[in-house]
Amino acid sequence: MNIFPENVSTYGQGIDQLFWLILVFAGTAFFISLFILLYPLYKNHHSRVKRASYITGEKKSQFFLVAVAMCILALSDFIILFAEHDTWETIESLPKVKDVEYIVIGRQWNWAFTYPGPDGKLGTSDDVVIDAPDSELHVPLNKNAFFHLKAKDVVHSFFVINTRLKQDCVPGRTITRWINFTKQGKYDISCAEICGVGHTRMRNFIVVESQEKYNHYIDSLYKQHSAVAGN
Amino acid sequence: MENQRSLSVPILRVPQGRMAMWMLIAGELMIFGGLIACYVLYRLRFPEWADQAVHTNTLIGAINTIVLLTSSFTVVKAHEAANKLDIGKVTLWLSASIGGGLLFLVFKSIEYSTEIGHGFTFASPTLQTSGDTIGSLFWSFYFFLTGLHGLHVIVGMIIMFLALLNARKGQKLYRVELAGMYWHMVDLIWIFLFPLLYIAK
Amino acid sequence: MSNTVHSQSFLRKYIFSTDHKTIGAQYTITGLVMAALGGFLAYVFRYNLAFPGDAIPLFGELTASQYNTFITCHGMIMVFWVGMPILVAGLGNFLIPIMIGTDDMAFPKLNMMSYWIFLFSAIVLVISFFVPGGAFGGGWTLYPPLSANGYLNPNPSFFKALFYGNSLMIISVALEFTSLLMGGINFIVTTINRRAPGMTPWRIPLAVWMINIATVIFMFSVGPLIAGAFMLLFDIVLGSGFFDPSRGGDPILFQHLFWFFGHPEVYVLLLPALGVLGEIFPVFARKPLFAYKIIVYLTIVAAILSVVVWAHHQFIAGIDPRMATFFSVATILISIPFSGIFLAFMATLWGGKIRIELPMIWALGFIGLFLVGGFTGLFLGSNAFDIYAHDTYFIVAHFHYTLFPSIFFGFFAAFYYWFPKFTGKELNKTLGYIHFWGTFIFFNFVFFPLFFNGLGGQHRRIFNYGMFDSINIEPYITFEKIATISAICLISIQIVFIFNFIMSWMSGKKAARNPWQANTLEWLAGSPPPHGNFDNIPTVYRGPYEYSAPETDADYLPQNVQP
Repeated sequence: MNIFPENVSTYGQGIDQLFWLILVFAGTAFFISLFILLYPLYKNHHSRVKRASYITGEKKSQFFLVAVAMCILALSDFIILFAEHDTWETIESLPKVKDVEYIVIGRQWNWAFTYPGPDGKLGTSDDVVIDAPDSELHVPLNKNAFFHLKAKDVVHSFFVINTRLKQDCVPGRTITRWINFTKQGKYDISCAEICGVGHTRMRNFIVVESQEKYNHYIDSLYKQHSAVAGN
Repeated sequence: MENQRSLSVPILRVPQGRMAMWMLIAGELMIFGGLIACYVLYRLRFPEWADQAVHTNTLIGAINTIVLLTSSFTVVKAHEAANKLDIGKVTLWLSASIGGGLLFLVFKSIEYSTEIGHGFTFASPTLQTSGDTIGSLFWSFYFFLTGLHGLHVIVGMIIMFLALLNARKGQKLYRVELAGMYWHMVDLIWIFLFPLLYIAK
Repeated sequence: MSNTVHSQSFLRKYIFSTDHKTIGAQYTITGLVMAALGGFLAYVFRYNLAFPGDAIPLFGELTASQYNTFITCHGMIMVFWVGMPILVAGLGNFLIPIMIGTDDMAFPKLNMMSYWIFLFSAIVLVISFFVPGGAFGGGWTLYPPLSANGYLNPNPSFFKALFYGNSLMIISVALEFTSLLMGGINFIVTTINRRAPGMTPWRIPLAVWMINIATVIFMFSVGPLIAGAFMLLFDIVLGSGFFDPSRGGDPILFQHLFWFFGHPEVYVLLLPALGVLGEIFPVFARKPLFAYKIIVYLTIVAAILSVVVWAHHQFIAGIDPRMATFFSVATILISIPFSGIFLAFMATLWGGKIRIELPMIWALGFIGLFLVGGFTGLFLGSNAFDIYAHDTYFIVAHFHYTLFPSIFFGFFAAFYYWFPKFTGKELNKTLGYIHFWGTFIFFNFVFFPLFFNGLGGQHRRIFNYGMFDSINIEPYITFEKIATISAICLISIQIVFIFNFIMSWMSGKKAARNPWQANTLEWLAGSPPPHGNFDNIPTVYRGPYEYSAPETDADYLPQNVQP
């Protein structure tokens, strides 16, 4: 059984693998602990023991085993920390190459997308803004797509389940995250931070398509936009 | 029950009123500490708040500092007098401290009224002086910090007044010390607020 | 006051009482009533999640805004009006004076006042359900701007804004903090100052240690949030902009203030429950508590660390990645003392002579469940995995696996252990076991499936997954149904507890003074202990955990027995 939804980003695999790694550590530790907890219930049941042994645990020799167990746990914690650090760095820092970029604004209650205009720059007057429920953000396949995440009214959280990326969008800040999609398709963008009554229906789509199709889409978008602007 | 109480001898022999007052002060300091930390963080992020801080009245602030320090001194004298069971002196010094608090509040209200007169209010979205809306948050902090402190001044005065009423009857003289501790805390907080709000410009 | 306490009127004895046991009972019963309310809210929104759109039995149609309100208030109520009164205030009041061998709290009247302020805060919260717009529905974390001006009308008048659901919630929380601060001062002063002769620090039972450490953490961490709560309230009612980015404020600041308190709060709820374990394990293993002093030291270390881990709740809130690494390391560091504490509890069982009785089985259940919660914490403490798991059902399941055992298993362990003492009656064992197994099994069926829903990507606080085709699929739909049906069973099984509670109290068998053969001082007092607890204040000669000590043939040696 696959417990994760399909992964479509370059770094999503890292998070899934991290889960299994931690599961090995945590699972082992859990069952050992359970054994330590339950075994004496059988072994030291009052019907089998005449008198409990008087162990205060204050002596060094008595506490030694617990201390060793604490050290092992700390060690495995740090192993996890080192194992996950690369994934964390990859996701939270930006790659050198920026292929495409968008502004994504969370608002009550949909995501608004801004494409750079024909000049290829964001923040200029020819930017194309799409701000409607159920609208789609088109992204080319296998490219580093940068998302400048903002929020208009309250805190939202940009969550594309299939890429494993989640990032809060905070009013007054611009936070940039990136995704490199590895598979074509249409994926949900949901909001993972409660943002009011409409939180439950705050959903848009990311459409990942090949570069040709993407170029085609962008062209038609520009045409549409200039037609609207011309009127 | 009184005789039972006497059986449970306090192990540390610290009067429990004093201990409770220390904890109350610790709790209060955490509230002010959190608030001051927020203010300092914002202040570091927005250097332009200095333009707003210019409008605080350093002179009145300085006078108020002296007033509070003096009233702290008189409350120490009241405590000394209470230790010597000198009711008359306790009354005198405590009244002086309450008077100090009153004087502080008078100066504070003069300050507030001039500031509000200039349009610096608790929630002023726009300011005539610079048109800079960011700066308005300085006044929110200013009024919140000084207002909360002023509230503590009033509470401190009430506590001292209650201690005074008791002391005049010669009862519960330990309360003079507790009132003094609280008053010192009020003073201490002001010592932090004064440079942060009035001097740093 | 005099020794003739029996002549007190009903009102003085049960309502405006200054007796620590009565006040403890008042806190506990208020907490249980609030738990019933919180449980009912949980039932309503869980039912909606499993059967979206259906009319809910005993409630009717649920709207999205009501759903938001209910999940918010469920969280608020369960943490602040159930966990805090039952575990900290309730247990603290019941146990501290009697376990350290004194007649009452240091400040009985202050104690009574803190309860009444607490009750008032609960009433304010309940009233907030009935104001226009309903109670606040933006998550119990109260994140602005949603909790401030993003919530309703942006420019309300002062009085109108004061009676909004969010204002009332902030006010009620502030009142509750005031009450608990007063109670906390009382606890600490009592413990430091009013111990019986011979009750040196290392002879204080672990429960008292733990409640006091929890109180210190609470008092240390709550101050900034009180300041933050007022800033938020001013944003709502006076229109200031402390957390409004368009006016120079920063919403993230509130998150820091909230979690600076919010994370230690988890330990405030956990520690008293651990204290209860520390009492129960030695008694039922007939063996000294393993490494009693070291447990206390580890707890103090954990308490200090608890105030520097808060930002692990904000890994994806846009904080600096380097800061996130620091908090990740701190989070790992804090798991080390706690692992030591739990291992020491388990080590207590090794080499003991174990009797399985009701309190013991609740304590064991607590540890078993908490292990799940603790080890799933490893996933979330690792900040990379947290990017995915944050704000999904994984986190919901995780913290229910930590908080439910602490609050309810901790409470029930304490309840079944001390009930004979404080009421003088024995509980019905069969009903007790039904209650335990019902709670234990159904709890797992509620929350274990939710781990998978979370890993599958279901995010929290969604009224209806109908719009999300990729996560509104099998097996998650079935898991939601399992969780809901089990939740209904989990709530229903508590009727057994209430029935047992009332029936045993009214007509239970008379309990012995020391039914579990325990060492601590409360078992010396009568059952139930009279006002003033002891006939004579006892003198303490030894630590609380001298079980199966070599100097006696009996397997226990009460603290007050002269050597």
